[in-house]
Amino acid sequence: MDYLYHILIISLIYSIFAQSLNLELGFTGLYNFGHIAFFGIGAYTSALLSLNGVPIPLAVIGAITLAGVAGALLAIPTLRLSGDYFGIATLVFAEMIHLVFLNERDITRGPMGLPNIPRPEWIGSGISSLPPFLIVTFAAAAVTFILLRRITNSPYGRSLKVIREDEFVAQALGKNTSLIKTKAIVTGSAFAGLAGVIWAHYITYISPSDFTLQETILVLLCVVLGGKGTHFGPVVGAFVIIFFAEFIRFIPIPSEYIRFVAPLQGMVYGFILVIMMLKRPQGLIPESRKFTTTNA
Amino acid sequence: MTAYYAQLLVNGIIAGSIYAMFAVGLAMVYGVFKFINFSHGELITWGAYLTLMFSSPPFSLPVYISIVPALLITVGIGLAQDRFVYRPLRQSNPIAILIASIGLSYMLRNGIRLCWGSDLHTFDLPLSTGILLGGVYITKIQILMMLSALLFFCILYFLLTRTLLGKSLRAVSDNIELSAIMGINMKKVTWTIWVLASVFAGSGGILLALDTSLDPMMGMNSLIKAFAAVLLGGAGNVWGALIGGLFIGIAENLSVAFISPDYKDFISYALIFILLLFKPRGFFGIAGGVR
Repeated sequence: MDYLYHILIISLIYSIFAQSLNLELGFTGLYNFGHIAFFGIGAYTSALLSLNGVPIPLAVIGAITLAGVAGALLAIPTLRLSGDYFGIATLVFAEMIHLVFLNERDITRGPMGLPNIPRPEWIGSGISSLPPFLIVTFAAAAVTFILLRRITNSPYGRSLKVIREDEFVAQALGKNTSLIKTKAIVTGSAFAGLAGVIWAHYITYISPSDFTLQETILVLLCVVLGGKGTHFGPVVGAFVIIFFAEFIRFIPIPSEYIRFVAPLQGMVYGFILVIMMLKRPQGLIPESRKFTTTNA
Repeated sequence: MTAYYAQLLVNGIIAGSIYAMFAVGLAMVYGVFKFINFSHGELITWGAYLTLMFSSPPFSLPVYISIVPALLITVGIGLAQDRFVYRPLRQSNPIAILIASIGLSYMLRNGIRLCWGSDLHTFDLPLSTGILLGGVYITKIQILMMLSALLFFCILYFLLTRTLLGKSLRAVSDNIELSAIMGINMKKVTWTIWVLASVFAGSGGILLALDTSLDPMMGMNSLIKAFAAVLLGGAGNVWGALIGGLFIGIAENLSVAFISPDYKDFISYALIFILLLFKPRGFFGIAGGVR
């Protein structure tokens, strides 16, 4: 039961992370391959602030704000790039952030990571803290879901979709496309920061190796598998992927083969990405192509 | 002190000639098919690891012979990528291809982990001693690296400028539809591009592994450098990629004299950023094309 709580918490955190990527990738058509950077910025900021005595609510707000600001800093120069160049720029951005985490040893303790990240008193630690943490995470995921749903169903959300389909059309309709895209990236980054914050306080130990290309691929897989550009898709994708990853641990594997599990899992993830692109690029839940204005 | 800078410069040229070999394949694929092939890095890794496989038991071939079957299999992987993933996706949107290539790269990289584990490996070669040339240390393998890069680029130059196949390659990267209309054998051209990209990447990977070591991430790390080189030279431009590769190698190694070596990789990342923002066509702004 406790283990189920753990899986649910991790799935919910990834569902927040995947939804935030979906706002950029699914709704706006911005292929952000460095989304993990904002997750990492959120996690590190909140951890560092709370380790240095800042009250946790303030640390959380600071972390989300900083992730959003970092998003704006990335967005303003890179948004003039189109398609795959934007992808490369964001990927490189994430690598740079990773190097900063790794090498600024005075602040981040480098590869040793940050242990003993505090949690709010009323949640506590150990097994008894799992149900309250689950409630908090669920609340955060629900707020993310509702807010992002409102955003994407609003007129602003429709202009995001127009930009995705054809940016020139959006410009011709008098939309300030770079402002709209910047807002989307800032929002997406802030929610990614939120996911990072919850993750840091849940695991209570973070190190630079948690924020690599591998996690970017995992969250990309959640969005692509679930269905990009839909509200439920990334949530479903996150739950499927995390439950799949966790249930592999229950398969009885002789200890001499245990080292083959992680690479095989990686191969399966890569294979799913390729097959999805070949056979079902719309994901498990396809986006409705009907233009409706009443479901807001 | 000049010897110190000279040493860094030579290190830079050595690293740069290998980056250039990685960048060429990336530039050619980009020039013709217009997508960034993330799994290009995995051709580098597989070339190196396959050489390791053939040179250790049960095959135990000498290293210089095991290069041959290793490169053949690397070419096979390159062609299979095209046949099973990129060709079916050729008509779909570029982002689908990009995501597929990320997935493919992840799959191939974990394949390496599955077969050889995540640890560092080295070739079982006698330690090559450095030769002192005018105050600069250089090993025999490093000389071999530079000579092979030079040889490869000479062959490529000959192929592109002196043969009919090279002419059709250049035509296709100029305008793929028009070339097809003019009756250029697209199958042959596609095939050549993937063979060239795989051979360059695989050989570069083997040389890099001979000089340093093998690890599953070597391809991914080199890929980012190669990408910086391609951008510097102007996407889709083979000769730009050569100069870009050399530039990245030298810039990176000279940076050690000024900033912490921990941030060596930062140079190529920052360069990618700056180039994308200010000079997205590269410094040798010939728009597209294998020239």
